[in-house]
Formats: sequence, structure tokens, C-alpha cells
Amino acid sequence: MQYGMIIDLNRCVGCHACTIACKAEWEVPADKGRNWVHRLGPSNTPEGLASTYYPGLCNHCNEPSCVPACPADTIEKTFKDAKTGKTKTMEVAATYKDPFNGTVQIDKDRCLGCGACADACPYGARYVNTDLVNEEIGGEGVADKCSYCMPRVEQGLDPACVQTCLANARIFGDLDDPNSEVAKYVKKGAVGLTSAAVNIGPNSRYYGNKKDMHLLTSTSTPMEMPSASLRRSLMARMKPGFNKAKNLGFLGLAGAVLVKGLSEDDQD
Amino acid sequence: MSLKVTRRKFLQTASLAAASVPLAKVVSAENGFVRKPFTPPGSSAGTTTVTGGICEMCFWRCQLVGKVRDKKLVKLEGNPKSIDNGTAICARGNAGIKLLYDPDRLKYPMKNVGERGNPKWKRISWEEALDECAAKLKAVEEKYGPHGIAMFPHGASAKYPMHFFERAVGTHNVSEASFFQCRGIRDTAYVSTFNTAPGEHVDMANAKAILLIGCHFGENVHVSHLKRYLKGLENGAKLVVVDPRYSASAAKSDIWVQIKPGTDTAFLLAIMNYLIENNKYDKKFVAAHCDGFEEFQKGISHASLDWAAQICDIPASQIKEVAELLAANAPNVSIHPGRHVSWHGNDFQRLRAHACLTALLGAIGVKGGFVKPKGPKVKGISWAKGHHDGAHNLKEMADKYHFAPPGTPTELIRDACITGKPYPIKGCVIWGQNPMQTIPKPQKTVEALKQMDFVMCVDVMPTDITMYADILLPEASYLERYDYIKKGTQWNFADKHEQFISARMPLVEAMFERKDEVWITNELAKRMGHADKIPVNSLEEKVEKELASAGLSIAQLKKEDGIHIQPGKDPYGVSEDFEVLLYNEDIEDSGYPGVPTYIPVEEVPKGFARLVYGRSPVHTFNRSQNNVWLYNAMPVNPVWLNDESANKMGLKDGDEVSMVNSEGVKSTFTSVVKVTPGIRKDTVYMAHGYGSKNPMLTVGKGAGIDDQALITKIAIDPETGCSGMRNNFVKLVKSGKALDIPA
Repeated sequence: MQYGMIIDLNRCVGCHACTIACKAEWEVPADKGRNWVHRLGPSNTPEGLASTYYPGLCNHCNEPSCVPACPADTIEKTFKDAKTGKTKTMEVAATYKDPFNGTVQIDKDRCLGCGACADACPYGARYVNTDLVNEEIGGEGVADKCSYCMPRVEQGLDPACVQTCLANARIFGDLDDPNSEVAKYVKKGAVGLTSAAVNIGPNSRYYGNKKDMHLLTSTSTPMEMPSASLRRSLMARMKPGFNKAKNLGFLGLAGAVLVKGLSEDDQD
Repeated sequence: MSLKVTRRKFLQTASLAAASVPLAKVVSAENGFVRKPFTPPGSSAGTTTVTGGICEMCFWRCQLVGKVRDKKLVKLEGNPKSIDNGTAICARGNAGIKLLYDPDRLKYPMKNVGERGNPKWKRISWEEALDECAAKLKAVEEKYGPHGIAMFPHGASAKYPMHFFERAVGTHNVSEASFFQCRGIRDTAYVSTFNTAPGEHVDMANAKAILLIGCHFGENVHVSHLKRYLKGLENGAKLVVVDPRYSASAAKSDIWVQIKPGTDTAFLLAIMNYLIENNKYDKKFVAAHCDGFEEFQKGISHASLDWAAQICDIPASQIKEVAELLAANAPNVSIHPGRHVSWHGNDFQRLRAHACLTALLGAIGVKGGFVKPKGPKVKGISWAKGHHDGAHNLKEMADKYHFAPPGTPTELIRDACITGKPYPIKGCVIWGQNPMQTIPKPQKTVEALKQMDFVMCVDVMPTDITMYADILLPEASYLERYDYIKKGTQWNFADKHEQFISARMPLVEAMFERKDEVWITNELAKRMGHADKIPVNSLEEKVEKELASAGLSIAQLKKEDGIHIQPGKDPYGVSEDFEVLLYNEDIEDSGYPGVPTYIPVEEVPKGFARLVYGRSPVHTFNRSQNNVWLYNAMPVNPVWLNDESANKMGLKDGDEVSMVNSEGVKSTFTSVVKVTPGIRKDTVYMAHGYGSKNPMLTVGKGAGIDDQALITKIAIDPETGCSGMRNNFVKLVKSGKALDIPA
């Protein structure tokens, strides 16, 4: 199973209800967002004058760059398939990809607040909520992002943004189920925002007419992985050391990477 | 996969969720709810669902439920039982809790111990506030007569006090922005043509073609209305959008008519003349229902495609294309009546043309056409109509504005205030309206207010107008009071015909000393000698009595989760005696054109562009400016500027600018430039409602440019007395330098 969301730009009217419903649902700070709507255009495209929207959110990627970026201690976590009851135990840091439903989640109580995951996301889908500080761990806040509203979905509810969408422009479901509406959209041509350099399997996808899709993809596709992600493997390798210094968040990530990077250079 | 939930399941989830949340760190004694410190619990954890909410973040009024945890409203959602908005609410609706708990909200009655416009507030008791309001208003009444009191109301809570001042006190001088600066022209123009006010009742969901003149859906959001529009598009309706700007609707259109502002009537006349000349109108409908066809035909015979093309600055071929498209899809076409239509001071004639075009296409009572829903009846309870003559009716005294909507045209009131003629107006009651940002030329409003003996304001927020109050009273918000009866039908006439009745019921209790409109009005009435006429003792009683007229009660509505649904009626069809006055003799006898006529507007002077304004999807005029969620969604109102012009002016997207108009009035604050090919060179555009000045608005103050302050040239629509507000010309100012806008 892989949850995914389709945004149908033919329907979207750019009303922003999705972003505000999300703020209310998940207590998102006023100046931050787990999702966003950017108005695009009116601009000239090869298909003619166009104006549309980029309603963005976490892509719950197949190969999320945020997950390996997390420097927190790993723990053993047992996941359970909601449908079959099957379980699977994995070593995870404070952010992980659920092996059963395919969503990327954050274990907030263990988050260091270092922001490495936010830096690593090419879509800017994560932020650090500085209103929350975990005194036991330190750091500057707690990372936050779209969870595809899993706590709601588990209760049989729609994600908050889907429920409030007056246009039915947001469609949520299992991309692996060929009979699902989302899978049908993919068949019709719904695409994620990917480029040669950023091709990590986004599961939030967009569908629209040619001119709108041209405007969306030409303005909103990330063309390179963030520089933080280039340090991703480096950070992953430095994890054991990093874990010993739980208050490292205070040092700042850049400093930590630099220090650790120097010591790793010795080994190379 | 389908995630549809039944209503029962939906309502159950709150209690289930409370039981399933693990790990106690914080436990509420109230409901046993536990929350982990860093994981937001979500709106369904530990909450109860309260039904009966009716939104009033805007005036479409969607049906809500509230999620309440520990007496605090944590989230608003669409009521799943609704056959109007359903579970959907817009950004503003979702942000209602940030109005409810806005720390800048008015809390206590206050007295201005400074001066009007530069207030110093002192908290006083309700007793003192009401005594003073009543005494001051009574003094005005005794000295100048009841007509010495003017009232500016807006919103559901202002209806009851408005009726008190109109009917019990007896002043005609009531001016609603929703009429005189918005939709009143449309209503009286359609009444003069179809004998009925149109609302926005076009059956877009089942239309084959939709014509929007200026409507910019998506930027303008009313939930069930947009559902109709989007259903129509989904069903393949052709969309024609007439707008100088590539609006949100233009972006979804099949034909975008980039018209020169102010010339829409010429466009409509040419279409109608083309339909008649080419025998493409609905002769059967015209023969059966239309009066004055010959006068009409003659009256518009000059309106050739080329004539209009030159006036409207669009190709004649495009006008023909639109006419052909409408004819080909007739009668299943939605000629949208519009909503905010007070644009140029020539608007009554334009709205008459909308109605006449609808009739020529036979688009009345048919799928996709002008179709009024058949909703349930609920009787309103309010102050009994008094026996007041028209002796001091400014409109009648002036023998002007014979097709004005109910109330008195704003300019007549302001002029009387300022000149004292034909009589002085010395008391002012402002209830839920912010005339500083609803009425053009606020400088004139200030002048009118400064000469008053007494000004009182009732509001939820410290809007700009409240700075001019002597006494400022805090009102309970729409989430904390009973009042509005929301009724109607299912939004899509293709679905099973159903009717609904719902009433606004409080989702939470009012905090601080906020009171509702019935309590405040009744307390004033008692003190002003009208105790014997009080129609109800509480808002709850009012709603109870109103519901009783439909065989319902508050208890019954609560049992039905806030919405009563009953079988409905087929709205299609047109009665035999439905009459359309293509030519209206009464209008002509009153001295106006009896056949829809194009009246040219002033040309844009060299170096300037016409200032055109519209809606932002996250704001309702100025009302929501201080809402911290909505503020952050669109902190300023970007100024749309044609890209070629911007290039010549040396302006880049995102540059900070202010504005100056052709009369030298400068904007107080700044905004940013939005450089785009999607607007005409002779026009600049921005969303209305920004630029609040009241320092008590700690979020919204100083954000964006206030278009209303730049609308200083007032164009009054001669038939209706409504304000035309798109006849002002501006330059952009960057780094202190006013830049000419190239033609």
C-alpha cells in the first residue's frame, strides 16, 4: 500500500481552504504551513496565457531524502498493517517511512529539532516548529510536516484538507490499488514534480490541462537536491558519534557537520 | 479508496478518539483527554462535536460543526449533514476560530475620552454605556427628529437593531453597504425587468454555457455557489469570462474577453442586437413573456458589433463568437447576474442588459438558466413596522434615485450630514459595518462623523470606523450567539429535490462582556422609551419563534444535528404570467433610459491607469484583515500591472510601491507589484479591503493598500443612488517618485 494524493488543477480554484483547515487540525504556527497554495501566473506559456496554483504538501516520497538525514538515535519500531494485522520491526530514527502505508512520519517526542530533515527536502515540505522545544533533548524546536492526516485516516476520516475542499480537487487514497481514484488519475497522467536531479518518487501528484501543467512544472519543480542533501550520506555515516551528543542541536547543524566532516576526511 | 463516512460514524469519532489516545502526560479532568506534548492531537482527539453553527466569515453562511475541547473551540468544519456546503468550508470559514479568540477583539464597553479619529479608550460598565447611548440618541431625536439619526448596518446581527431604528425610532436614514456599495443595483434592475431579485440564481451546474461579467470565482469564494460553477465546468459547460484581467475564472475560460473597464453594457447590447438581427433569439419565449420588444429592438439597433468593438477595445469577431456560442447553447445558458456590481455609476443599465439577454435567450426556468430555488418558508420576527410617513425621506425629498434599493443612498446621508440640508443628521449608529472601508472617499465619512453630536459603534473587532465612536460596544460573534436562519435547497437541481432549514446556534459561550444584538438593542429601546414595542426578550426566543413558524424548534434542530431536511420541489418551469420588461416605461417616465443603454465613463487620463479592485479568497473585504491565519495566507494585496508597462516603468515583480490618485490622494501604506501579461495596460488591479489604520489591529494594521481611500471620485448610479467605485485613476509610486503608466 502506498498512500498518495492527487491535486486536480482543473478543479482547484485556489481558495486556500486546505491550508487553513490543516492549520486548525494540527496546531500549525500561523506563519508556517504543513501545506501551501502558491498562485502561479498569469504568465505566457507555449500553450497560451495560463494561471493556476501550486497546492503543495509532503510527497511521502518512495525514496525520501529526509529520512536518512535524521541524525537521531535509532530505535526498534514495530509497524502494523492496518488491513492485515501483519507486523514488521525496523530500526528507525526520529523520522521514517511506514513500510505498510508508505507515509513518511515524524516521531516528535524523539525529534532533536536540528532541522536536517527540513534542509534535506527538495520540496520545502518540512519546517521546524520553534514554538515547541523538547527540554529533555534540546534543539530549537520540533520538525513538522504533512502526515497525510494518518490519525484521521485511521479513524475513517478524510485528511482535513480533503474534507474541506469545496472543489473536490484533492483526492486521497492508495496508489497501489488499481481501482482507487488516485491510481486512475495516475493512469490518466497525474505526475509528481520531478526533474533529472530530483527524482525520489513523490506520491503527491498533479493533474491538469496542458497550459496549467506547463506553468506548474516550469515554476515549481525542484531542479536540484538541496545542498543539505549532498551532505546526507555524510550525516548518515556520522550518526553514531552524533547520537552521543544529544544536545548537539545547540551547536547548530552546520557546525556539527563541519566537525564531523573533518574527522571523516581523515579516514578517507 | 473511498473514505466516505456516515454522519453517525463522524459524530462518534470524537468519543472513540478520546478513549484511544495513549500515554498520560496532561489529563483534562473534563473529558479524560490526554495529550503528548510534542504531537498535536488533531481535532478529533478529546473533542465533542457541537452542531448548529452557521458561518459568517462571509455572507454566504455555510453550515458548520465545531470541535470543542475543554470548552475551547479547536476547529470548525462543514456540517456533514449539509446539502448546501457539505463538509466543505472555505479558508475564511476554517479561520473562524482565529476571529473568535483574536486577542485584539473588543471585550468590554468603552468610552472614547480622546477625540473621534484619535481615540483614548476607557472601560465602562454596560449600564453606563447603555445609559449614555440612549440619552445621547434620545437627545438627537428630540432636537432634530428621528431622522436626525443615521445608521450604517451590516451582517446578520445588524438586522434587528436596524429594524429598531427604522421602525420603532422612525428614521429612513439607514444605508446598508450590501445594497449601496454592492448588489442593490442588481436587485432593483432585475426587479424592474423580471419583477424578482435574482440573487445569484443561475443553474450553472446544469448549464451548457456560462457568461461571467466581472465575476472572479476562486478569488471570490462562496462554497455552494462555486460547487455549481465547478459542476457546470465538469459537465462541459463553455465558459465565457468578461474581465480586463486574467482572473481565476478567466484562467478556466474557453473565451476570455479582455474588455475595457466600464464598457460592458456596450458589449451586452451588441450581443443582443446581433441575436435579434440574425434571428438567433428565442422568439417563442419573447412572444410569450416579453413586453416592449419593438421599443427594445429599436433602442439597441445602433449597437453593431463594430460599434461595440471600438468602445470595448475588443475584436468584433470575439463579440460575434460569444453571441454565437450563447445562441448555440440557448436556452441552457447561465447569464450570471453578478454580486458586487456597483462599478461605474452606469450599472443599473448594465444589469438591466444582463436580465434582457437572459430573456432573449429564453434562459429562464430551464436547465442551466435563471432558476430560483423553491425553498422552505420561515417567518422572520422583528420590530413591528411603525406608522412613519415619507416626510423626511431624503430620496423622496430629492426626487432622485427612483430605483434605489431599500434604505437611503449613502451619498444623500453624507451630504445631509455635511451641509445640514435638507436637515441636520447628528446621531450615528454603526453596527457591524466599517464605512471607512466600504464607502468610497472615507475623507467625506470622517467629515460627516466629526459633526455628529453622538456616534456609537457595535462590532466584534476594532475596525477603522470604531476609532470614530464615542461609545464602542463589544458584540458576541457568530460562533457565540443564536440568530440567522439559514434555509434553502440542495445546490444541484439535478439531484433529489430537498429543502433545509437550520438556525445559527452558539458553539461556545461568549467570553468577557460581549453581548448579542437583541440584548443590546432591547436595553437601548427600554432606555429610549420603546419598551412596549420590544418583539422578543432574547435572541434565543427570536430564533425559537421563527423556527416555530416552520413547525420546528431549537430542541428539534439540535436533535437533527443542526439541520432539518424535508422534501423539496422542482424549481424548473416558468409561470404563464412571468413578465419580462425589455422596455420599461416606468424607468423612462422617471427620466432614465427605458431600454438598456450604454453610458460612457470617463477616459483614463494620460499617465494614469484605472484602479479596479476585487476579492481575495482569504478575506471578506476588510473584516478578516486581522485574522492571523488569513493575514499570513496573503499579507498584502499585490498590484497587478501589465508586464510591458512594468518594463517601461522599470518595475519588477515584488517591488514595493504605494499609489497616488488623479486627485492627489496618496495611499497610506504600500504593497508589492505583480507583473503579469494578464491585465490590460490601462488598468491596475488589487484585492479590496487591505490597509487598516487602527493600531488596535495588531496583525492587520498597515498591511497593503486601502483601495477605498483612493476612490475619491464618486460616481453615483442615477437610477439607484449606489456608489460606482471604479472611476478612479492612479499612478504607482516607488521610492517617493510617482511613475507615469504608459498607455
